[in-house]
Amino acid sequence: MTTPVLEIRNLHARIDEREILKGVNLIIPPGEVHAIMGRNGSGKSTLSYVLAGKEDYEVTEGEILLNGANILEMEPDERAVAGLFLAFQYPIEIPGVATMTFLKAALNAQRKARGEEELKTPDFMRLVKEAGSQLNIDNDMLKRPLNVGFSGGEKKRAEIMQMALLKPSLAVLDETDSGLDIDALQVVSKGVNALRDGQRSMLVITHYQRLLNHIVPDVVHVFSDGKIVESGDKELALKLEAKGYASYGGEAA
Amino acid sequence: MRANFPVRLGPAEDALIAQLKAAGADAAAERITVAGLPTRRVESYHYTDLKTLLRAIPPLATAANEASAPALRIPGAFNLMIANGAIQNAATAPAGVIVGKAEGGVLTTRDDVLVHINGALAKEALTLTLESSVDPVIQVERRVEGEAAHVADALKIFVADDASATIVETFSGSDAAHVGNHATYLSAGKNAVVTHITIDLSARAVSHFATNEYQLADGAKLRTLVIHAGAGLARTHVFPRMAGAGAHADLTGLNLVADGQHADITMETLHAVPHTSSQPLFKSIVRGRAKAVVQGKLVVARDAQKTDAKFMHQGLMLSDEAEILSKPELEIYADDVVCGHGSTCGMIDEDSLFYLMSRGVPKAEAETMLVRGFIAELFDPIEDEELNEALQGIVDGWLMNGQ
Ligand SMILES: Nc1ncnc2c1ncn2[C@@H]1O[C@H](COP(=O)(O)OP(=O)(O)OP(=O)(O)O)[C@@H](O)[C@H]1O
Ligand SMILES: [Mg+2]
Repeated sequence: MTTPVLEIRNLHARIDEREILKGVNLIIPPGEVHAIMGRNGSGKSTLSYVLAGKEDYEVTEGEILLNGANILEMEPDERAVAGLFLAFQYPIEIPGVATMTFLKAALNAQRKARGEEELKTPDFMRLVKEAGSQLNIDNDMLKRPLNVGFSGGEKKRAEIMQMALLKPSLAVLDETDSGLDIDALQVVSKGVNALRDGQRSMLVITHYQRLLNHIVPDVVHVFSDGKIVESGDKELALKLEAKGYASYGGEAA
Repeated sequence: MRANFPVRLGPAEDALIAQLKAAGADAAAERITVAGLPTRRVESYHYTDLKTLLRAIPPLATAANEASAPALRIPGAFNLMIANGAIQNAATAPAGVIVGKAEGGVLTTRDDVLVHINGALAKEALTLTLESSVDPVIQVERRVEGEAAHVADALKIFVADDASATIVETFSGSDAAHVGNHATYLSAGKNAVVTHITIDLSARAVSHFATNEYQLADGAKLRTLVIHAGAGLARTHVFPRMAGAGAHADLTGLNLVADGQHADITMETLHAVPHTSSQPLFKSIVRGRAKAVVQGKLVVARDAQKTDAKFMHQGLMLSDEAEILSKPELEIYADDVVCGHGSTCGMIDEDSLFYLMSRGVPKAEAETMLVRGFIAELFDPIEDEELNEALQGIVDGWLMNGQ
């Protein structure tokens, strides 16, 4: 059996004494795209933060294996180097740090950590230009401070551009479709699909079946009250769209 | 008759009084005899109690025999030097620059002990007359070398109408417990465009005092940047006088303060005529048990309508024990003005740090990026690339020392 890119075993996590994740189990084999859908407040973003290693959360039980290696003891930067990428639901604005400067720092930090040589400026510029043109991101935008004053859609496109540059083995996309207009949704989906190569895996968190027409998932999971309660093929998303989450119990947030 | 309680004078004051008397500055000596060095009870020294902080005054400086390495190299700059108060010979000046000397102090008299002392003890002033726009950066190195010394020196700069120039002053020297008292007077002519940067890179043992006075004519544009990144005790005065309609000043500064240090930027801007504006923006980054002070006073004269001025101080605490103090003051005698002040203080933002780290940037590097980002507003307007890099290097060096 090939090693899954992501394996989550009985994951429990809490924040400020409150348990949010209550036993998540999930296996994503290489090359597969899995979608997670679920009510507001059910813990989807929490799962993505716990995967990426945000300090505020305390993992009380369970394991997370990335390409077979336990990442729970790793710092967020080490997890990134190990191949994890999280496209944030709400990308953070960082005044005073030019987007270009940040991209170069991130790319070179990862290369350095893997024992590779740092990129020369012309090579870096070429990569950025390639990644940017696919996502309609021009140089002027990259000269601006990271995410500062970016529109909602620009922020999401910038996240996908980072993913394209960093080439993770697992990409977690947290509501990358929210805030996108119809054209931008196409652009972003195209960008994401371009990165599907049979090896790279993705975990796509979304509220809308529409996105899954563009990024077609292998598996759809329903998330409710801190765990996965049902899994199925892409038809499950259509069913959810029609019927909502009522049959999974609990109350709407 | 009112009882006169004599102030108890300490060794620093005794030494100062003796030095002032020997220089024939009886009035300045008398003031210190009566009042002593200012304590926290003196309004403008409330956060920087000189009587407590300044324990000794070393002997007056004699000629420097040795020289330490330059504290900051700015490639392509035209360099001038004042060492231990004495003006050193310089290379041939670039076009438009006339280098000269003048007698004594350069500052306008005001009720301030450091200004009094400089006026009494600075024997000769370096003068720079910039007749037209000057291309290279002009760097004035002010050194205190050798054994611990008390030095007062002075610089006077005239920038002609329509001329533009960038002047950088660096303060450095040997590791001894010097007390430096430096004065700069800069007059910017009509429509002149001037950048004036003063950087303290002295040793930890040093007490560094500087007073920068500015006079702006019609339409003059001034950008100032004070950086404190060296002395254990540092205080820089920024005293601009907006004296011509259309004059504008961006008054900026950065306190980089580490454990055991105390840095103070005290600004007092006088908007003397109508239609002038100033944008004071100061930042303090503090780690360990250290104190950063920024005082900003905006004075608007009675007829100075349409004055536009806003003072801002932003603090970044890299440790819990650090102290950042702000004192804004408005003294407004005109009625049609837009004046304000604000201050903020915070730690490194955890969400920002997580975001950068989630992209593979290690914690220390991510923190450095955020600190650089915090400062960017101050450095970005400095267009000269070599100079900009040199400034960035100061901050990087300071950050690296703390890791
Ligand atoms: N600091 C905190 N303290 C307590 N509860 C928190 C904290 N942060 C998040 N939560 C709670 O955790 C729960 C899960 O939040 P999360 O953001 O993971 O939901 P989500 O499924 O991503 O929702 P949405 O679809 O709206 O994005 C919510 O009830 C939220 O209020
Ligand atoms: Mg969410």
